[in-house]
Amino acid sequence: MAAIETTGLTRRFGDVTALSNLSLTVEEGALFGLLGPNGSGKTTTIELLTGQREPTSGTARVVGRDPVTDPMGVTAAIGILPEREDPPSFLTPREYLSFVAEVRDVSDPDQRIEAWADRLEFAGILDALSTGLSEGERQRVMLAAAFLHDPDLVFIDEPLVNLDPIMQERVKRRLADYCARGNTLFLSTHYVDVAAELCTHVGIVDDGRLVAECDPRGMSEDELLEYFVAEVGDESAEVRT
Amino acid sequence: MLREEWRLHSHLFGGPRFAAFPLVVAVLTGIGTWLLSVTGTPPASVAGGLVGLVGFFGLQVGTIGLVGRDALRDVLGDVTLLVFSARTLPLSWQRLLATFLLKDVCYYAGLVLTPVVLGYGVVAVASGVTPGSVALLWLSAIGTFAFGASLSLALVALAGRRRLAALGALVAGTATVVSGVVDPVAYTPYALYAEGTLSGAVRGLVPTAVLAALGVALFEPGDDDSSGRHRATERLFTSVSDPLARRSLLSVARSSGSVWKVAFSMGVLFAVTALLLGQVTAGTGTAPHPGIAFGTLLGLGAFTTYSWVTQFDSPREYLRFPVTYATVFAGTMRAYLVLSLVAGIGYLAVAALWFPVGRLAVGALVLPGVAVYVFGVSAYLTGLAPNELLFDTALFAVFGAALAALAVPLLVAALVVSVAPQPVVGGAVTLSIGAGVVGWLLARRAGPRWERRLRTA
Repeated sequence: MAAIETTGLTRRFGDVTALSNLSLTVEEGALFGLLGPNGSGKTTTIELLTGQREPTSGTARVVGRDPVTDPMGVTAAIGILPEREDPPSFLTPREYLSFVAEVRDVSDPDQRIEAWADRLEFAGILDALSTGLSEGERQRVMLAAAFLHDPDLVFIDEPLVNLDPIMQERVKRRLADYCARGNTLFLSTHYVDVAAELCTHVGIVDDGRLVAECDPRGMSEDELLEYFVAEVGDESAEVRT
Repeated sequence: MLREEWRLHSHLFGGPRFAAFPLVVAVLTGIGTWLLSVTGTPPASVAGGLVGLVGFFGLQVGTIGLVGRDALRDVLGDVTLLVFSARTLPLSWQRLLATFLLKDVCYYAGLVLTPVVLGYGVVAVASGVTPGSVALLWLSAIGTFAFGASLSLALVALAGRRRLAALGALVAGTATVVSGVVDPVAYTPYALYAEGTLSGAVRGLVPTAVLAALGVALFEPGDDDSSGRHRATERLFTSVSDPLARRSLLSVARSSGSVWKVAFSMGVLFAVTALLLGQVTAGTGTAPHPGIAFGTLLGLGAFTTYSWVTQFDSPREYLRFPVTYATVFAGTMRAYLVLSLVAGIGYLAVAALWFPVGRLAVGALVLPGVAVYVFGVSAYLTGLAPNELLFDTALFAVFGAALAALAVPLLVAALVVSVAPQPVVGGAVTLSIGAGVVGWLLARRAGPRWERRLRTA
């Protein structure tokens, strides 16, 4: 069954077409990576699929719901981690996660907060104000917020940004485990190595268009990079060192 | 810094439309001056009121010490201003701050103060005031703005070093004013306009220079001491059951200035109102109704509280949660009312030291309605980003007109209360309650309106 299904999804901002005619299917249990250069339409795609923006034309179904007519139903069922979002400066991680749990109507918030703080190793800063946290610590809190209510589908825009190499490996394992339990992940990234290592399916977007789809599991990082460069050009390719 | 300030404002507040902002300020001031002249208020009293408001504006602008780098980042995103360059460039904080203060005086003199005086001047000259007097008012207004900015900077700088010393200075200043031993206005730049003499100018301007020098010399930039505020305020607000109201209250309480910035901004308005009441009484020979005047102006001043409680909200953030914007605004309104009504009622209680309690009780009836109306108008027009939108010229005009639609009849009622006390007071209370209902309805409509806008933007 499809966790995400779109037909002709298009979004314009004035004269600029950020996303053009996106038709895409992501099956349940997939770890789907939307790979593309900066400004290619990845963030817009996530905003349309999660009901944060309405499309100019086209349709989408996310966990069986329409993000345009039922945005609350969609946001209740999914988790979202945007690329640039910190926990509120003057709340502690515990307070912010409690806030998230309350608006999401989570039944056992304290246990879940403690569990996620242990998993992502921020138990020691649970009661410190967020304004004093490092970028990496804030990213871990935001990751916990996206998964706190145990959703079936999570959207993550650049999952490993600001994390140190050891934490990156731990987060990658968590994400793989999450999908191994039948859940679906939709990642957006412009790092080819992240897509090669994590994803079961990859869609490549360039200039607002889906230009290719592939299964990266049989491909090495270099092969996926070559494939990507062939589709979007070598100036757009980025591999972290 | 001037170029930076202009680009910041024009970028945030509507691009080229921001250039029309001074024109709107001049027109609104002209209309206000004309309306007051219709009620019989002499031009000199209007000028006094304008200078008082300019001083209030200066006090607000001078609170740079309360708006640290972190607070700026929360409001504007990743913004770095030249004034924060001391860490990376061989420039002293004192030099940067002095330049910043001078820049603010020049910038706001051009953008706000000159249009205000022009708007007043056109009406005043037509009614017989000399152009020379208007020119003196212009100089006096610029000086008063500098006085307000320097006073708040000096107080914030002093509080940064010794909180008790700042509190002591405030108490001593208030006691001096209340005791009537000296005329405080004679030591402000208003003396330049009121007396029109060289000695008056020197006496009026020297304290401003001293305060500016003190503020620049004493100010110490530093990271927010949030842990202290955290301990002091968490017990107060962490028990609030509504998560949205709790979030707003905790953010206000723990950010720079804590809940004291609400008390400070409304306190300044309280002081200006008290001075205006005295001016009007002296100018017209009739005493305005203090309850209606305080209730109205403190309620209008609650707009600053609206901007505090929304300061740490990211408007799009709530789209990622299964929560409607109607719920978000309802929670924000609870936080807003807790802060603004507590401060407002507190100042009405302080006013009971000078005015009859029975008359101030009317203020306690007027204040909530006006405050809810201000919330509704602010929420409906500006959403969760009042600071970004209010300097949009067109929006500013609509916002000003909406507030004037309530403020003008209430203030006129305060002025003419002696004509028919009971009907006027009854009418003012009824009007404020009606305004509260309108505000509540606007607040209810604000949620769906802004949710729709954000999704289709």
